[in-house]
Amino acid sequence: MPALASSQLPRRRYSLGLGLSWEVLRYFKYWIIAVLILSFLGPLALSRYTDIDLSAWFYTANVAKWFSAFVGGGFVYVLVPSLIAAGVTRRELAVSLGVFGTVWSAGIGAAAIGGLLTERFYYGAMGWTQAVELNEATAPIGTWGETLGFAAVYPLLYLAYFTAGTVIGVASYRWDGTGWLLVVPILPVLFSLDNALYNTKPFGPGWLGFLGRFVDEAGRGLVLAAIVLVIAALAASAYRILIDIPLRSKKA
Amino acid sequence: MSFSVNLRDVTLKYGKEDALADVDLTLEAGKIYGLLGRNGAGKTSLLSLIAAFRKPTTGQILVGGEPVWENAPIVSRVALIREGGDFDDSDTVKATIETGHVRLGFDADYAYKLADKFELPLTKRVRELSRGKRSVLAAVTGLAARAELTMFDEVHLGMDAPTRDAFYKELLAEYMDRPHTVVLSTHLIDEVANYLEEVIIVDRGRILRHEEVEAFQGMGATLTGPAESVDAVASGLEVLAEQRLGATKSITVAAAPDAPTRERAAAAGIEIGPVGLQDLFIHLTEPGKNGA
Repeated sequence: MPALASSQLPRRRYSLGLGLSWEVLRYFKYWIIAVLILSFLGPLALSRYTDIDLSAWFYTANVAKWFSAFVGGGFVYVLVPSLIAAGVTRRELAVSLGVFGTVWSAGIGAAAIGGLLTERFYYGAMGWTQAVELNEATAPIGTWGETLGFAAVYPLLYLAYFTAGTVIGVASYRWDGTGWLLVVPILPVLFSLDNALYNTKPFGPGWLGFLGRFVDEAGRGLVLAAIVLVIAALAASAYRILIDIPLRSKKA
Repeated sequence: MSFSVNLRDVTLKYGKEDALADVDLTLEAGKIYGLLGRNGAGKTSLLSLIAAFRKPTTGQILVGGEPVWENAPIVSRVALIREGGDFDDSDTVKATIETGHVRLGFDADYAYKLADKFELPLTKRVRELSRGKRSVLAAVTGLAARAELTMFDEVHLGMDAPTRDAFYKELLAEYMDRPHTVVLSTHLIDEVANYLEEVIIVDRGRILRHEEVEAFQGMGATLTGPAESVDAVASGLEVLAEQRLGATKSITVAAAPDAPTRERAAAAGIEIGPVGLQDLFIHLTEPGKNGA
């Protein structure tokens, strides 16, 4: 990971965090380019055969949630042994991951917002409807302001998924074979809150949102507050698991 | 500057089992140490604690006079290179070398010089390397770390004999150029014996012996000469190993011969040499022995 280069010890944790965001973009650059092309050219190709009445970018933005979880989990799983073995302390690694998660979520959150707004212009120019699937029907996202409001919470959701992935990734490294079981309590909570925030058709395994019945009636502000609390709890859990994690013995 | 190491009453448990028990150990700064032990004796556990790869169950570990655990200025200048290295297998060799920049003292120019010398393919991914080349990459990152305390844990596994020889020479050259503390954990004892200043033997989770190499070599002797004469002189002594080639025989005994024995040996045309470190190690760690 060349972007992990660091010059000074006190700043190392921050430069590591920033470098990791760049590494993810570099590592997945072809996938990201492919998704961008598919999101904007896909509807154009489909429009020859059918009416376009669903936002393609909405699906891209939702896939990015699960991708964020994968990035958080996958990277921490790989980074724990390689960085601690390279003389980075666990506390430094924890701060780096915090910076990484924040920069990553803000970055792709901005991309999600920019994408939805760009798509609104694009769909408008083509005479298509930028709508999303609700549970029973489809509905246009709305005005420019409503589109912005619809997209504005993506950075927070990406951070929530990233943090959830990080907890599961670091637990999987620490408890080989059983750590991944943390998906059982974490995903239903996160997925239910995500579904409660958007009254859209669940994106992912719908049954995971079974806790939604307890928060469906809650206001948007309350759900957002709950998501912030869940992020804080997940971050605290990841820190606790990481802070005294032993490196595994090498297998011949 | 190089780091000293102090372990005080250190115990490490895996579950209920003691991997290390009541370890007291002091390593002076600026020396090359050999760490010997049978499989499962606790060598890797000991090195993992010194490098803060693990936290001890009890006890205190000081490196450079400071607690090593979560001490960034210290651990950033300690390198423990384990067999095969702790790499991201999906990275290229070049990217793996560049990751070394995380360390403050990392010398990228030196790393690339070594990579060239050992013919490491920079564009290949780590997972595509042979075991030998992977070991070389680990050794290169360890040497180029320019750490104050460098520990190699069986890093030579998979290297062929010429590569191992080149690695030992490079290690020594780097040590001469920049004195620092080095610990070599190995099963290829005789191969590294000439490079070591002190030897630590770990057995069943405890420090069995910690002596200068000369002290170990003085714990026994090798008698070489006419077979019948050697047998006669060695009679009554504990034999560690013996070899015979025609009429010449060589016997390694577990005690330094006393003056009368030396006189008898000299009279019989027997040469007395130092004991091989490997023979002594085998003797000391034999099951049932307590290293006395």
